[in-house]
Amino acid sequence: MPPLRRVPFHPIRPLTHVGRVMLCIALSLFAAILTLAWSPARADDAEARKGESPYFFIDNGAPGTDRLPLKSTAVDVRISGVIADVTVTQHYRNEGQRPIEARYVFPGSTQAAIYAMNVRLGNRLLSARIREKQQARIEYDNAKREGKTSALLEQHRSNVFEMNVANILPGDDVAVELRYTELLVPTDAQYGFVFPTVVGPRYGSPSAADAAGRPAWAATPYLRAGVDSSTAFDLKLRVDAPIAVKDIRSSSHEIQVQGADTAHAVVTLADATKASNNRDFILSYRLAGDRIASGLMLYRGDDQTGGENFFLAMVEPPKAVPLQQVSPRDYIFVVDISGSMHGYPLDTAKVLMQNLIGGLRPSDTFNVMLFSGSSRMLAPSSVPATRANIERAVQALTQTSGGGGTEIVPALRRVAELPKPADLSRSVIVVTDGYVTVESEVFQLVRRHLNEFNVFAFGIGSSVNRALIEGLARAGQGEAFVVTKPAEAAAQAERLRRMIDSPVLTQLKARFDGLDVYDVEPAALPDVLGGRPVVLQGKWRSQPGVPASGRLLLDGRAADGPWHQELLVAGHEDQTSSALRHLWARQRIAALGDQESLVGGNAEKEAITALGLKYSLLTPYTSFIAVDEVVRNPNPSLAPTVDQPLPLPQGVAETALGAEVPSTPEPAAWLALLVVVGVAGVALQRRRAAVVA
Amino acid sequence: MGTVLSTSATGRWLGRFEAMPPLAWLGLQAVALWPHWRWAAGRLADGSDDPLGLAAVVVLLGWVVWQAHGLRGNARPGWLMGSGALTLLATVSQAVAPPLAGALLAALALACGWRAIAPSGQATLPLAGLAVLSLPVVSSLQFYAGFPLRLVTAQCSTWLLQLAGRVAERSGTAMVVDGHLVIVDAPCSGVQMVWMAYFCACAMALLGGLRERSFIRRLPLVGALVLGGNVLRNTVLVALESRGPLADAWHQGIGLAVLAMVCAVVTMLMREARDAAPQ
Repeated sequence: MPPLRRVPFHPIRPLTHVGRVMLCIALSLFAAILTLAWSPARADDAEARKGESPYFFIDNGAPGTDRLPLKSTAVDVRISGVIADVTVTQHYRNEGQRPIEARYVFPGSTQAAIYAMNVRLGNRLLSARIREKQQARIEYDNAKREGKTSALLEQHRSNVFEMNVANILPGDDVAVELRYTELLVPTDAQYGFVFPTVVGPRYGSPSAADAAGRPAWAATPYLRAGVDSSTAFDLKLRVDAPIAVKDIRSSSHEIQVQGADTAHAVVTLADATKASNNRDFILSYRLAGDRIASGLMLYRGDDQTGGENFFLAMVEPPKAVPLQQVSPRDYIFVVDISGSMHGYPLDTAKVLMQNLIGGLRPSDTFNVMLFSGSSRMLAPSSVPATRANIERAVQALTQTSGGGGTEIVPALRRVAELPKPADLSRSVIVVTDGYVTVESEVFQLVRRHLNEFNVFAFGIGSSVNRALIEGLARAGQGEAFVVTKPAEAAAQAERLRRMIDSPVLTQLKARFDGLDVYDVEPAALPDVLGGRPVVLQGKWRSQPGVPASGRLLLDGRAADGPWHQELLVAGHEDQTSSALRHLWARQRIAALGDQESLVGGNAEKEAITALGLKYSLLTPYTSFIAVDEVVRNPNPSLAPTVDQPLPLPQGVAETALGAEVPSTPEPAAWLALLVVVGVAGVALQRRRAAVVA
Repeated sequence: MGTVLSTSATGRWLGRFEAMPPLAWLGLQAVALWPHWRWAAGRLADGSDDPLGLAAVVVLLGWVVWQAHGLRGNARPGWLMGSGALTLLATVSQAVAPPLAGALLAALALACGWRAIAPSGQATLPLAGLAVLSLPVVSSLQFYAGFPLRLVTAQCSTWLLQLAGRVAERSGTAMVVDGHLVIVDAPCSGVQMVWMAYFCACAMALLGGLRERSFIRRLPLVGALVLGGNVLRNTVLVALESRGPLADAWHQGIGLAVLAMVCAVVTMLMREARDAAPQ
C-alpha cells in the first residue's frame, strides 16, 4: 500500500454534545444578526384612510418631525363704532429635521367677513389670491408637489376654517396673517365681541354616509382633557367710540383695560402666558348713557372698488312693553345630553332648565325631550306647568348624565311630528353645545316646519358652535343665547321670558325716500324680539358730485300701537367706512347660504362664488391661496402632513370624543401565558411524580 | 484500520461536511430560510402581532437542546426529501404567496428536517404545531376567524343569558342585556385562548411523548373546549357588565380563571391519551 500523503492540517473531529449545542446557538445568533441587520418590515399607515371623527392626539410620529408646528396665534382687534377690523397672525415654525405640511382647523366668528390673507416667509411677503375653491385646491396641491412653500385657507362652515401650509422647511418661520371685518350688533345696549379660539369636537353620525354628515375636517386630533395647548395666544383690542366706553368686561378671560370710561379704550389679556385658547374670548362693553351707535353710514365707492356705493342702517327699537294679556304657550324643551355635554356643560344646562321651566306660567304647557344617540320625552304629551310637573321635570333632568352621540336631526324631526292644536302657539327651546356637523340639515328641518313653531336656541359651554345656535334661531325666527356658566343661566332665561312676553316690533317695513337703493339685505325684515336694533344693509346709486340725500322710513307695530321712525340720509357719507362693502357681501352670502340650506344641494354655488371672487371674500366656495414661486423643498413627497392638535374646550370632558362601550376582552397576553405555563408545569410535575412513585 | 483521509481540497471539504453534526445541518437549513424569520421578527418588532410565538420558540429550542444527544447521524431519506421540497417551496413562495404562507412552509420544512434526524418513536405533529404557533399567526387568525368566533360567542352567550332569565338580544356581534349595550369586539373573540390552548396541547403532547394518532384525535376536543371556555368567560363578563362598569381586575381575573380551567382540561386530555396509548 503506498504511503498516505501527509495532510496539511488535522481532520475535523465529530463535535461533542456540548459542541453541537454551541454550534446551534452560534447558528441561531448568526440568523438573529442577519434578521436584525436586514431592515425589518414596518407597518406603514401613511396611506391609510383617515377616520372621519375627532380623535385623541398621540405623539408617535417619526423622529425628527415637528408634530406641533403652530407656535402662536396673535389677534389684533380694532373696533371703530360698530365695525371691528381683526388681524389674526398664525406663526408656524418647524423645529424638526424634516420638512412638513401643517394642517390646522380653527374657528372664526360667525359674522366674520375674511377679506385678505398674507404669508410672511422670512423677509418676503406673499399676498394670497382669492380663487374658486377647487381651483385653489389644485393650485395648492401642485405647489406642494413642486416643493414650493404655499398656504391655503378654506371655509368649511361659516365659523370653521382650515389652514394648510405646505413645505415648511426645518427652521422656517411662516407667519400667516388673516384679516376680517365684522359688524357688532348690540343687545340691550350692550356690545359684544367674541373671538373663538377652538373648534369643539364634532359628532359625526354613524348613519351619515355622506360628506356633509361626516366631513373630513372633523377628523381633527384633540389633546387630552387638562392638557394645555402648546400654542401661545395673545389678544389686543382697541375700541374707538364717539362717546365714552364703559363697563368693559370679559366673562371668559382676565383682562387689563387701559382708558376705561374714555372714548378710546385698549384691552389686553392680563396674563398671556396662561392657557387661554381653549375657550371663546368674550368681551362686552357699553357706551355712556347706554346708548347705541344707531343711524346711517354711507360709503361712496371709487374706481378701485368697482364704483359701488353701500349703506348700513342701525335703528334702535322702542322699549319693550309687557303685554297686558299673554296667551298661553306650549314649550318643548329639547336638551342635548350627549357625551360632549357630560359634566360642566350639562350642569350648566340643568341650572338653565330649572330657570326656564321654573319661570313658566301655570296656564302654559310644556314637555322635555332629552336626546343623545336616541331621544326620549319626559311625558307622552305636553303637561300643564304646574308646580308638581315642573318639579318632576327638574328631578328627571338632575338624574341625567351626558353620554352617547348627538343625533339632533332625528330629535328635531320627532319634535316636528308632535301633534299640535291649530290655535296653540308653540316654542321649541333647544339647549345644546352644537357639536355636530349637520347644521344644514337642522336648518332645513326647522324652516320646513316654520309655521308650526318658532325656535329659540341656547348654546351651552365655553366654545359653543355659534353657527348652529345662531342659524337655528334665524331659521326658527327666534333668538340665540349663549350660556357659558351656571351664573349666567338666570339672566338668559329671564331674557327669553321678556322676549316672548314682550315682542317689540312686528310687521316691520323699511323704505327709502329720495335715495335710490337696491340689493337691500335682509330682503324682508324679521320681527324684532327685544333688545336688538334693526339692521339694514344695501347699495345705493349716486350721481358724481351730488351728495346723498333722502330719508329712511321705518314702520312697524309695537306693543302699544304703530311705530314709525325716520332717519335723514344727508351728512352721513363717510369715506373711511369701506368695510361696508365686505359687510354687505358677507350678509348677502349668508342669505344665499340660508336659501341653499332650505332647498338643499349647491343651488346658490354660482352666486356665492361670484360674490366671493368679486369682493375677495372667503366663502364655502372660494378660498385664499398664496404660493411662493421658489422651489424650496427638493423632496416634497417625503414631507408628512402634520395635523395641529386642538385643546379640548374648557369644561368639555373626554366623552365628547366618544364614550367607551363596555366589552369583554381576554386577559393580558403575558398573564395568560404565565397561567398556561403554570398549569402545564404543574401537570408535568405531577406526571413525573407519578412515574417515580 | 486507521481513518481514511482525502487529500484533495474538495474531498477535504466534503469530509468536513460529512463530519458535521446533524443539528448543524438543521441550523444551516434554518439559515437558508432566514427571509421568513426576518419577516416574522419584523411583524413582532412593529407591533402588528403579539410576541406569543416567542414562547413556542423557547419550548422548541429547549426540546432541541434536550434531544440533541440522541439525533441520528444518517437522516431518514423520505423526511429529508420532504424537508428539502418544503424548503424549496418556501423559497419560491416568497415571490408568489403571502409572507405568512411562506413562513408556514418554512416552519413545516424545519419540522420535517427535525423528523429526519430525530430519534425513533418521537411524534412530529406536536413539534410541527409548535413551529406553526411560533410564527406571528394571532393577527391573521383574528382577521380570518375572529368575526365568526365573535358571532358564535355572542349568540351562545345570548342564549345562556336568556336561559338565566335575563333580557338579552344579539345584534351582530353586540349584545343588549337588560338595556345595556356590551360589544363582543376583536379582543373578546377568544383567538388568544385558541393559541394558548393549542400551545398547551402541543407542548404537553411533545413533552409527554404522545403518539401522533392520539394527538390528532384530541385536537378537535381542544377546539371545542376553547369555544366553550370563551362562551363561559364572555357570558359571565357580559352579565356583570350589564349591571354596571366592571373593574379591569375582574376582566383579568375571570379571563385567567377560565383559561386555567381550559388548560387544565387540555393537560388531562393529553395525559389520559398518553396513558391509554399502547406502550
